Amino acid sequence: MDARLRRVNKEITDCKNDKASNVQIELIDNSPFHLKGTFQGPEDTPYEGGCFDVDIVIPEAYPFQPVKMKFITKVYHPNVSSASGAICLDILKDAWSPVLTLKSTLISLQSLLCSPEPNDPQDAEVAKHYMTSKQSFNDTARYWTHIYAGGPEVSGAVKGSKVTQDDAEQDEIAMAGLEKAHVDQFESLGFPRSKVIEVLRRLNYRGANVAKINEDRVVEELLK
Amino acid sequence: MSSDYEYSDDDGDYYDEDELMDQDDQVANHSADSAPSEEEMDIDAFDLPTKGKQKSYHIESTTLSKHDLERAMDENIEYIAGIFGIEPEVASILLRHFEWNKEKLTEKYVDNPTGINAEAGVSAKPNPPRSTTSGSSRSTRRTTPASSRSKKSLSVEGPFVCPICFDDTQTRTLALACSHKFCTECWTAYATNKIRSEGEFKTTCMAEECTLVATDSFIQSVLATDLPTFDRFKELLARHFVSCNRKLKFCPYPECAQTVSCPAAASKFALTTIIPIVNCGDEKHKFCFACPIEDDHRPLICSVSKLWTQKCRDDSETANWIKSNTKECSKCQSTIEKDGGCNHMTCKKCKYEFCWVCMGPWSEHGTAWYSCNRFDEKESVEARDAQSKSRASLERYLHYYNRWANHEQSAKLSMDLYAKTEKKMEEMQLTSALTWIEVQFMKKAVDEVFRCRMTLKWTYAMAYYLQKGNEKELFEDNQRDLEKAVEDLSELLEQPIDTETIGALRQKVTDKTVYVQKRNEIVLEDSAQGYLEGRWKWNTPVEGFD
Repeated sequence: MDARLRRVNKEITDCKNDKASNVQIELIDNSPFHLKGTFQGPEDTPYEGGCFDVDIVIPEAYPFQPVKMKFITKVYHPNVSSASGAICLDILKDAWSPVLTLKSTLISLQSLLCSPEPNDPQDAEVAKHYMTSKQSFNDTARYWTHIYAGGPEVSGAVKGSKVTQDDAEQDEIAMAGLEKAHVDQFESLGFPRSKVIEVLRRLNYRGANVAKINEDRVVEELLK
Repeated sequence: MSSDYEYSDDDGDYYDEDELMDQDDQVANHSADSAPSEEEMDIDAFDLPTKGKQKSYHIESTTLSKHDLERAMDENIEYIAGIFGIEPEVASILLRHFEWNKEKLTEKYVDNPTGINAEAGVSAKPNPPRSTTSGSSRSTRRTTPASSRSKKSLSVEGPFVCPICFDDTQTRTLALACSHKFCTECWTAYATNKIRSEGEFKTTCMAEECTLVATDSFIQSVLATDLPTFDRFKELLARHFVSCNRKLKFCPYPECAQTVSCPAAASKFALTTIIPIVNCGDEKHKFCFACPIEDDHRPLICSVSKLWTQKCRDDSETANWIKSNTKECSKCQSTIEKDGGCNHMTCKKCKYEFCWVCMGPWSEHGTAWYSCNRFDEKESVEARDAQSKSRASLERYLHYYNRWANHEQSAKLSMDLYAKTEKKMEEMQLTSALTWIEVQFMKKAVDEVFRCRMTLKWTYAMAYYLQKGNEKELFEDNQRDLEKAVEDLSELLEQPIDTETIGALRQKVTDKTVYVQKRNEIVLEDSAQGYLEGRWKWNTPVEGFD
């Protein structure tokens, strides 16, 4: 049997038998070389309670070349692209070793969520947010975990404290990772604020993306 | 090529570039015993005044074959191995780690051999993550890391399951000194991937975080059945060696395996005075040792040639054209090109009516239509001054550029002409009494014209950047003489050839070729001398000049 196929099959079986690690690997289509990995957000982080899906592509020369992984679930993290899910992690590039497995790589991703490396960012906007205000970053990350990864509803500090109507709205925008000016801009066209936030968040209307996304496109989405 | 040529001397020069200059004469002796090139022989035949003397525009270089290169590497390796009493294979890994800088390696290795061994991957890092597989038989490993670095370990206890392919039927396993065992098939696949896909000569142990580097003999043993890949591995090593050594360059021509050594061009400082056009032994494989410009860009030094090629590529001149040929509507600032008609302009965009000559509003012209009498007013004079300055700069550039491009074009055309003439000559051989050798003067002439046009081409780029003054005038005199001679010869080459006049034509062409060659020599020699004397001053800031 093809060495690569044997190895991947063995890895999938091993992962199924190992209940302790909380890492799952499933087939996406009929190919054993295109998989979906799933793991839980680590405890005591803004990702706690979330369930994160990772797209896995096994290259031709595996295991002598690193696997290709990217997040399917949207993650608000300095080393993960908020738009594409691309991951910046050394073992997926030059620090790869053939003895690493899909499972150990997914566990490494899990620990990447625990310990972000903002100095080597994949998403500069998110990294900036992390560096300037850890608290606000955590709120946004938790909010994204809730919205995209099925994490618990955001509670505590933000919603529990007595804040004015305006502050609460602003927090809602900040947590979605958006700019108030952008939300105001589309709200002024007569769309309800909540709808604007929802659409802009879905389009990932942030940072460099703002220039790429045509305003007409946003309006089109809003009219749907 | 003499064998006592020391490559090793250069390593220290990374840090002291000026020192390099001292070594030039040493190498000059070596190339003397190589056969004189065709060009040199030609010159001798025509008995030019420079005969016997070293021409200052000719930069010495030597050619190294694949074998010479390997020997140079081996010499370095043996030197290090001898000093520290280590295996050549270990010395080789250490040298690669230090980018073949022997002095730096020696210095660091004396201070901290254990640390350097670990850093370079010769021995395992202290406290390796999986050092639990201790055995008394391996206890000697630390003291003599070299002798037992790579060894075949036969699996003895139970069926071995390779941690990479999960195959338990494999019986042949291999491990580096770190004892991380994997099956031979995985090692082969791993090394092949490293060498073929990643182009990496450094193959580390496959275990996670193990930085031990496989020796060349280990690589050879895993690639025993795949010699092309092992050859590629050796090629990668040679490429690394050459890239680490500033005196060496591979011949850039496709499929050419030669390496050129040009110690004179190894320092940046030297490049302000010389133009290292070298060849790898094959006359056609001529290239600049120091820069990627494909032409023989003599007599212009690399840094200024780069400025020129950049300028030609830039669209800054497009902007200059727009500036010279258009004006802005003084009301809405749209750019307008006047393509005919009278001076009464109406802006297409804002419908502003103005006079093209003075740019003032048309309404103020009253009845003096079509002849602007407000021409001398201060404001319009200033506007026109700015415009003519820009136009003058453009015209200056175009003057040089057109001639530069024209020589390139003419050089190409002369090659076409040669192809046509050659055919005619062949016919003539059949119809007349002339022998093959007697009709070869044409080829020589065309080759010379081509060479001179290349020189002329770059003299225009040089003249563009030369500061005004006597030196530039003398340079341009030489340029003019060469150009005149080349154009005369070109004209001769265009003349119809027939059997009656061929004798006279042959004489004329041969004479003219010698003359042209001499003029070319003068231009190259004078400019090269000028660099050495610091005679050339540029009208733009150039790296390395004050």
